[in-house]
Amino acid sequence: MLRTTSSPIFSSFRGRPKTPRLIFKAFSVLLEDSPPSARRNASTNLTTLHQGPPTSAYVHLPFCRKRCHYCDFPILALGSSSVSNAPYEERQEEDDPRITNYVNLLVREINATRTCFDTNPNLKTVFFGGGTPSLVPPKLVSLVLETLSSRFGLCPDAEISMEMDPGTFGGEKLKELMGLGVNRVSLGVQAFQDELLKACGRAHGVSEVYEAIEIVKACGVENWSMDLISSLPHQTLEMWEESLRLAIESQPSHVSVYDLQVEQGTKFGNVYTPGQSPLPSETQSAEFYKTASSMLRGAGYEHYEVSSYSKEGFKCKHNLIYWKNKPFYAFGLGSASYVGGLRFSRPRRLKEYTKYVADLENGAANWCGDGNVDLKDVATDIIMLSFRTSKGLELKEFGEAFGRKVVKSICKVYEPYVESGHIVCLDDMRKEVMSDEFKKLVGNDEKKIEDHVRYLRLRDPDGFLLSNELISLAFGVISP
Amino acid sequence: MAMAYAMDLSPPTFFLSPTPSSLRRLSSFPVSTFPRHSNRRLQILCQATAGTQPQSQSNLSDSNSKLAARSGQDRLLKVPISKIRNFSIIAHIDHGKSTLADKLLQVTGTVQNRDMKEQFLDNMDLERERGITIKLQAARMRYVYEDTPYCLNLIDTPGHVDFSYEVSRSLAACEGALLVVDASQGVEAQTLANVYLALENNLEIIPVVNKIDLPGAEPEQVLREIEEVIGLDCSKAILCSAKEGIGITEILNAIVERIPPPPETAEKPFRALIFDSYYDAYRGVIVYFRVIDGKVKKGDRILFMASGKDYFADEIGVLSPNQIQVDELYAGEVGYISASIRSVADARVGDTITNFSRKAESSLPGYEEATPMVFCGLFPVDADQFPDLRDALEKLQLNDAALKFEPETSSAMGFGFRCGFLGLLHMEIVQERLEREYNLNLITTAPSVVYKVHTVNGDTTMCSNPSLLPQPGLRKSVEEPYVKIELLTPKDYIGALMELAQDRRGEFKEMKYIAENRASLLYELPLAEMVGDFFDQLKSRTKGYASMEYSVIGYRESDLIKLDILINAELVEPLSTIVHRDKAYSVGRALTQKLKELIPRQMFKVPIQACIGSKVIASEALSAIRKDVLAKCYGGDISRKKKLLKKQAAGKKRMKAIGRVDVPQEAFMAVLKLEKEVL
Repeated sequence: MLRTTSSPIFSSFRGRPKTPRLIFKAFSVLLEDSPPSARRNASTNLTTLHQGPPTSAYVHLPFCRKRCHYCDFPILALGSSSVSNAPYEERQEEDDPRITNYVNLLVREINATRTCFDTNPNLKTVFFGGGTPSLVPPKLVSLVLETLSSRFGLCPDAEISMEMDPGTFGGEKLKELMGLGVNRVSLGVQAFQDELLKACGRAHGVSEVYEAIEIVKACGVENWSMDLISSLPHQTLEMWEESLRLAIESQPSHVSVYDLQVEQGTKFGNVYTPGQSPLPSETQSAEFYKTASSMLRGAGYEHYEVSSYSKEGFKCKHNLIYWKNKPFYAFGLGSASYVGGLRFSRPRRLKEYTKYVADLENGAANWCGDGNVDLKDVATDIIMLSFRTSKGLELKEFGEAFGRKVVKSICKVYEPYVESGHIVCLDDMRKEVMSDEFKKLVGNDEKKIEDHVRYLRLRDPDGFLLSNELISLAFGVISP
Repeated sequence: MAMAYAMDLSPPTFFLSPTPSSLRRLSSFPVSTFPRHSNRRLQILCQATAGTQPQSQSNLSDSNSKLAARSGQDRLLKVPISKIRNFSIIAHIDHGKSTLADKLLQVTGTVQNRDMKEQFLDNMDLERERGITIKLQAARMRYVYEDTPYCLNLIDTPGHVDFSYEVSRSLAACEGALLVVDASQGVEAQTLANVYLALENNLEIIPVVNKIDLPGAEPEQVLREIEEVIGLDCSKAILCSAKEGIGITEILNAIVERIPPPPETAEKPFRALIFDSYYDAYRGVIVYFRVIDGKVKKGDRILFMASGKDYFADEIGVLSPNQIQVDELYAGEVGYISASIRSVADARVGDTITNFSRKAESSLPGYEEATPMVFCGLFPVDADQFPDLRDALEKLQLNDAALKFEPETSSAMGFGFRCGFLGLLHMEIVQERLEREYNLNLITTAPSVVYKVHTVNGDTTMCSNPSLLPQPGLRKSVEEPYVKIELLTPKDYIGALMELAQDRRGEFKEMKYIAENRASLLYELPLAEMVGDFFDQLKSRTKGYASMEYSVIGYRESDLIKLDILINAELVEPLSTIVHRDKAYSVGRALTQKLKELIPRQMFKVPIQACIGSKVIASEALSAIRKDVLAKCYGGDISRKKKLLKKQAAGKKRMKAIGRVDVPQEAFMAVLKLEKEVL
């Protein structure tokens, strides 16, 4: 069948504008051929999930010693020459006016954030990302947490994560942070080879890595994650295996493995072409991914998301909010929030961000959605986020929200990939539905599919490795 | 170099069959869109010229120009048949036909000097943009020679000699022709072909050597060439420079003195020869004709003898050069009829017009049906444009009786049309018009010719679509059309051209030197070998100096096979071609390699094969994508990632699915282009 001749399954639908009070029932209308009235009032989980008040907040602390060669995040480089050899506790970050001014601005933003929800539940997760949040003096972190707490409330058992880089904190600082409530550390190790760390412009070496691991452990942080990057320039499979081995030996409760993305405008982007030396070839790079998956799973980690592994009970609660398409606040330079159905990115430049905060205080800036959402957008968000997880796409909910017809079309487009093993199809007991059976089901009516197929997920690692290709196939179903 | 290239750019003729006159209009309208074929046709501004005062801006004397203008304004006055002269101009592109015609109009006062200066010589872009130019199809001029007024009718021949049927009909409407040859270029192949057509029609030919004012002019040598190559007596040849106005009067005098008047047949039943027709959106088809016998009056009921359609002549008139209504035209005169005719197919070039109530006994000789010789599939890139494409083709057909089309479905390209054309130029013009005027985005399959297939059960079928070629077991033999091709070239390039002709399965027939430095090569080769880039190759291998002419000589049996392309074991029908067995391997290799370059890698390994029947003769494999994963959705910011995924999805949408493989449209287009080149 020709793609171009197939009729659109979705038509663009916009929920009627609602008053903020009502937005959470904005739409739950099926977008298939059957008359929508039948289900007009049947709110479903999927479409309402993200509509409630957020219970998560991302806080961006953009300061870094210097910019890593692969990095294209909104950061503010402080420079490190004068302080690089001083012990952590004596460094001047305490008094750096750039940090103080920024945090003051951040606090203003949090305070100016007026929500439009009836209830204001306490925050369950807070994530300090960066940048290098560990460069920010604890007393300023404290100020931020206090502001969040007074503005939204903070659950006593809230997960409060902070990204920390080796060489930017000592035991005392970490203890202080823990005293403030930080209970999850995400350690930016990236590699266990000095030459690789140097080649990607990291501000630390391997010795700082070991030191940092020691500090984290000594301080008794139970919930900590280690970040690693694969496919770095000059990285060999042996080096990668070594990094994974050493990572496993240091026993983090969580490991994030990122495949290097060569972004335009970064140093790497200017010098390297993906797949070409000194970057590993595509085949090697795929091998790295598979190796990580098998080694980490072998060591008792669950591969619960494309790039996340965790020991039991240590999934990152904050990140799960993202994958579940739930709403979250975001504060700080360039950060992206998702409230009221609106994904909003703050300005990436300090000057514009400052103006944004002022606008927010005047009531001139709008970051909160009013419930007017494009259903296609929601559907594609859910697809792209669900398929990142090992849980996969829940077809029943999805079908209820967007129509069984769409589910059938997605199944149809994935049929060859179920056969090739890239996609796993599961019943409601999470038992795998074999490809011949799946083939038969797809030939059947929508109801039959619903009865027998509950989840579609990408197979680890073959499906995860091709996630873009596979997800974009489903996108094609949503927006033909 | 640019000049040399431009000198001889008329494309080759690809057919021996009739050509719709309307094509000339097709080809002349978007002239600038075909720089390759830039044939500057006579263009005259269509606007009221009455009442404007002639101004002496030319190098003609004041009194001359006034006298000419006066007689020019009397040009509607009737003269006896014996004082009518009908002629055309035969010239190679850029040898000065347009300039000479302009000058004749100017000197006879048919077009005012001022208009010539200010409007006619203006650049074409402007004229075209304003949509105010008309093409000169014929021009009636009044010329006073030895105190006797004469009526001279210049009948234009199509610039592209491709449309040789049309040329022959235009020439059949004349009693004489000016043969214009560039004093520095000499005789070209197409000029030659047209002169032969003129001689067949018993035309009095007046050799004219133009551009004698140019530094490189060698009129003596050119005259010798005309005598040797064509065998014309050049003792009374005229040397002129149309640009400088030298020799114009001599030419006019020669037309009166040497070209015979039309026969006195005004009393016979009305018969007129159509030499051109075009579709006017407001008035229907306008027919240009030469009255051979009898007369026609406004309001007469007329009958088109070949199409059998009859109409009332709402309006008759002469072209001078814009349309001017008259009440009556009689034998020997040239004019137009507007009769609310719906389609040019009803009044085709070569058809005979007669009087409905006093029919002529027989039609004029020489009429031929249009037979498409070159076929290709046209598919809209966007399937939604299919109805638009159909409408556009239907509209074009109103003005182009030779355009044939029928719906075609292809697994890869979706819905489209298989279209038949008279030749490659015709095909190009139609495609260009569809894309430009109708805003359609089209994919064209490689052009193919019509094969004659003898099946084992004794049937003979004509096949123009590779996918419809009967299975090998069912066919006894396949014949393909052959052409006789004549190449004129400076002797330095003889080797290069022989190599080209050999490559294209050419069979050498003859070589002769037509001048010290120039040779003529005669080959017979399959038409299929010419529908590709033969002409482009001819030009590039001879730095633009060679010219060519060809005619179809009939069908011959060849060892032809159908070459299929399989992507991931799925047959891709639009890429199938019919090739000679000897070429199958190289074509197969080229196609599979190109496809490997163009098809994006998939999530699995994809074999790409070229096959004859079930036998694989060339094969490539596309390796599978190993990794395509966006590792991080940092800080929950999914917008950028989503954008990338959307782009990726959109990219897939632009592709056509061949089984499980997504093949981008560009791959088809590039391969089809390659097919045009390698076949």
